[in-house]
Amino acid sequence: MPDKTALSSFKTIPIDQAVGTTLAHDMTEIIPGKYKGPAFKKGHKVKSEDICRLMRMGKNNLYSLDLKENQIHEDDAVLELASALSGPGVTFSAIPNEGKLELKAAYPGLFKVNIDALIDFNMIQDVMCASIHNNTCVEKNQSLAATRAIPLVIEKKELEKAVKTARENYPIFSVKMFNPLKIRLIITGNEVYKGLIQDRFQAIVEKKTKALGATIKETIILPDNQEMITCRIKSYLKKDTDLIITTGGMSVDPDDVTRAGIEQAGFDDTHYSSAVLPGAMFLLGYNKNISIMGLPACGLYHKTTIFDLILPRLMAGEKPGKRDLAKLCHGGLCMNCKPCRFPACPFGKSA
Amino acid sequence: MEDFETLLKGSAKAHGHLCPGQVVGVRMAMLGCHLIGLDEPRTLPQIKNLIVYVEIDRCATDAIAFVTGVKLGRRSLKFVDNGIMAATFVNIKTQKAFRIVSTEESRDLAKVYAPDVIDKEKQQLEAYKKMNLDDLFIVEEVFVDVSACDFPGPTRFKAVCARCNTIVRDKREVLKNNEILCRSCAFGSYYQPVQKKGKNDA
Repeated sequence: MPDKTALSSFKTIPIDQAVGTTLAHDMTEIIPGKYKGPAFKKGHKVKSEDICRLMRMGKNNLYSLDLKENQIHEDDAVLELASALSGPGVTFSAIPNEGKLELKAAYPGLFKVNIDALIDFNMIQDVMCASIHNNTCVEKNQSLAATRAIPLVIEKKELEKAVKTARENYPIFSVKMFNPLKIRLIITGNEVYKGLIQDRFQAIVEKKTKALGATIKETIILPDNQEMITCRIKSYLKKDTDLIITTGGMSVDPDDVTRAGIEQAGFDDTHYSSAVLPGAMFLLGYNKNISIMGLPACGLYHKTTIFDLILPRLMAGEKPGKRDLAKLCHGGLCMNCKPCRFPACPFGKSA
Repeated sequence: MEDFETLLKGSAKAHGHLCPGQVVGVRMAMLGCHLIGLDEPRTLPQIKNLIVYVEIDRCATDAIAFVTGVKLGRRSLKFVDNGIMAATFVNIKTQKAFRIVSTEESRDLAKVYAPDVIDKEKQQLEAYKKMNLDDLFIVEEVFVDVSACDFPGPTRFKAVCARCNTIVRDKREVLKNNEILCRSCAFGSYYQPVQKKGKNDA
């Protein structure tokens, strides 16, 4: 049901009498499959040559606007909404387009959403905001969310309610920048140590960590020997290291000793297993400010695994715990699409 | 807008000397303003409709600022440190924008336009005054999405650096390791504090 108070601010002008009228809002034109955007911007003075195009757009009447004191135009309202929603690392254009503002990343990093607060915001009359998922890796200028006031004119009190909700839950949207972590990598496995097969893990880990700005400082290949693994981890803990990554040896066979090797090295907090496939036999641990990830061998076969979900969070300075690993369950099953479209897919998007 | 010679004279005075960069800057600014439909950019209401992005901090930039009236402190002059003799003129009311680049060829063409002048700088100065705009500049219509945090007007955004407690305006803060930080605290500063010497060290 349209808001009668808002509608009383508009005067309807038949299109054949509209020459000279100043448009009260952007007029959207849709050409199926080709174009959707403003054909005429708010403030445009209608000329005689515009009439045919407006009629082709299905406009037989136009609005002229006379705002009451308690009302705000959608373009002014959306600037207030965007300002209140945008935390650190989130920017937006100064000029709304068709009443909408798109929020964008000011720098690359991990996009964070206060989901409950965003739901509360969307419960308020006449405003909306839609975003991409929480914990998504984003590039600079990537679109994160879009917001708008639903009607052309919004009641001031509804706008104030929405702004208050966003401010009280600041920041609803933010981007955590990635730290240039220094990584040390331990490849485990008798087969690679003895040279029976060539290691392929190093290239995979290097590619994924480099993409987020981390550097692998050292790499070693070790046999499935618990003591050697423990000893090497201990030596890495003494060096200038932010993150240790081990690969392989995380399963249940007698030769799978990497997990024991990690635990023996002395971590305050280790979590083995995650609610993600591929990546169930994953280990995550912390020793003061140094993190360790034990990657299961599935990373050799699957393009996207638990590693791709947790690495960005460590890079952003987070320390995911047992509950975070469990929260990945809903959406934690990879659909193995060919080709893989991650991160543009539901994998790992629930947390 | 005043005529070219008057603007050039004023620009040279404001900059401190007359040089080829002043000529290029004045002509670039006059063209830029014309293309985006501003004929009196230094006066109200047009002064509020203009933002100029300059891509170099050399002589021409001062000329552009003089002709257009844009100022860093008004947030109407933006410096993009590209090292390119170029500027983009944006009418924020109509969103019409043009990027104008000074051509490298114009340096060589100076001797064609002013063959009688021997001194290289004077030759460029005289040549740039009469050079065809097509020889002097490359012009491209562009779209600039001016961010709300770069817009002129009152400060809309403020944050407090969690480390040094400084107020950071206009969304220049970053979120690093769960802390809102100013850029100096997040990335390091361009300056180093000087250790004051004690009496005995002097």
